[in-house]
Amino acid sequence: MIRNIFAVALLCLGSAAFATPAPMGVDATAPVDKELGLRLPDGFKATVFADDIGSIRHIIVAENGWLYGALMRPKGGMGAVALRDHDGDGIAEERIFFAKGLRGTGIGIYDGYLYYGTDVSILRWKLPISGEPKTEPELIAYGFAEKRQHAAKSFTFDGKGGLYVNVGAPSNACMTRMRTKGSPGMDPCPILEEFGGIWKFDARKPNQQQNIDGIRYATGIRNAMAIDWNPHADSLYIIPHGRDQLGELFPELFSPAESAELPAEEFHRVAEGADMGWPYSYYDHRKGERMVMPEYGGDGETVSDKGQKPLIAFPGHWAPNDLLFLRTKVLPESYRNGAFIGFHGSWNRAPLPQQGYRVAFVPMDAEGNVTGDWITFADGFAGLDVIISPRDAKHRPMGLAEDKDGALYVSSLMSGGRVWKIIYEGK
Amino acid sequence: MKVSKALAALTVFVGTSAYANEPAPTGEALYGANCSSCHQADGGGVPMLQPELIEKPRANGPKGGVIDMILFGSASIAVSESDYGNEMPSFAQLTDLEIAMIATYVRTHFENNGGPVTSDDVKSRRPK
Repeated sequence: MIRNIFAVALLCLGSAAFATPAPMGVDATAPVDKELGLRLPDGFKATVFADDIGSIRHIIVAENGWLYGALMRPKGGMGAVALRDHDGDGIAEERIFFAKGLRGTGIGIYDGYLYYGTDVSILRWKLPISGEPKTEPELIAYGFAEKRQHAAKSFTFDGKGGLYVNVGAPSNACMTRMRTKGSPGMDPCPILEEFGGIWKFDARKPNQQQNIDGIRYATGIRNAMAIDWNPHADSLYIIPHGRDQLGELFPELFSPAESAELPAEEFHRVAEGADMGWPYSYYDHRKGERMVMPEYGGDGETVSDKGQKPLIAFPGHWAPNDLLFLRTKVLPESYRNGAFIGFHGSWNRAPLPQQGYRVAFVPMDAEGNVTGDWITFADGFAGLDVIISPRDAKHRPMGLAEDKDGALYVSSLMSGGRVWKIIYEGK
Repeated sequence: MKVSKALAALTVFVGTSAYANEPAPTGEALYGANCSSCHQADGGGVPMLQPELIEKPRANGPKGGVIDMILFGSASIAVSESDYGNEMPSFAQLTDLEIAMIATYVRTHFENNGGPVTSDDVKSRRPK
């Protein structure tokens, strides 16, 4: 009898070790902490790490605990902020603004340097021992054309000297006349020569010009704000912003409800030379197919052979603005190989309510395969149950980061700018 | 000359007949079909992407301000001077009347008091 119980216990242990249960995500019936402005799964706890820091975009935490954030609009003339929690209470009591005269989105650390993406260049500073960089920035990559739409430069590193820069397309769907009813798509789309892809550079080499020194690593990408190198599977992953306004530009093909839901936001593993299909196709997650874009003759029903299928898809217009794979082993095992995705939230689902304002998690294995459906890891940012107009949202997730102790950070540029710190206290 | 006059007449005819069997669209409906996905139904815009239209100096100022934005889009505003990430396209393909109705709607809603504009106001601002 005792031996039998022991065997059953062993069996249970065995299956638990092999089949890691998928994380549960937030309890949708639990209240949102209004003061904190977010809701997390059981076992996680958050603090407001910093408030009133300006238009904060992507964030990164150095080994020494300093958090660096790029600012989309300068604050006091400065384009970046450095934050430090010295006493370990989860609140940064020191803040230093730096990067005079700059404005940017991408930020990252590689090989002892702090990298920064303006809309037209990638710069780096020698990483200081503490606080803000003390040297003049060094130009790493330049020659990105100055554009308004999708101009922000997000980037990541492969850990082997490669720097991967998102060069967003200054366009919705490569229409001949921008966002104009009845205007056909340019075929071939000339925008893809210079934009709409990921360009690879040498992370250590100064003064590289996009069209001379940069390699177009992948194409067919409208704008991949959310980009990260998956260190477990050793591969690039992105989740680009899908196109806008199917219903407004093609009211005869897409109802308001379809236009709210389509196209899907697509999560991709990106090998060198990969094509994600923009502007020729989009992904319909309800059909599980890539469809011909209406600017290129599509009617909402015709399947396209252009572009690779995503690993997993999300409802339309959620605006994925950052992607994070964990480097530490602090969170429960079920989180360690998966992807955290920061969704800024939609503006393009009207007349239906806006959606997306959350951090989602996609469970994955060490080989980089998706192993289950996505969950909501954090929500409540908007401070409202129903969001009709995006400006009514108190906060909208933007950047994601992890520190060396396994704490997560989420930024929002709304309501003066905020960063939350999230720690795991469960067992 | 003859051809262009005939074309103009045809355009007017088509323009009228398109609405012959249905009530004429309101400014609100035209705003809904052409403007609200970006500027939102409440005129609130989208932070950092598309401007809000509420209590907007342009919508309370001279008649040409809103008309020109609809006719020519935001291209004339330099990238470095814009607070918004998206560029507004030209809606010059709309008729003078449609543009006048949209401009009037914007200038008399969203807490704006700029007052109405007419088709002739729009016509006078089209490139000759």
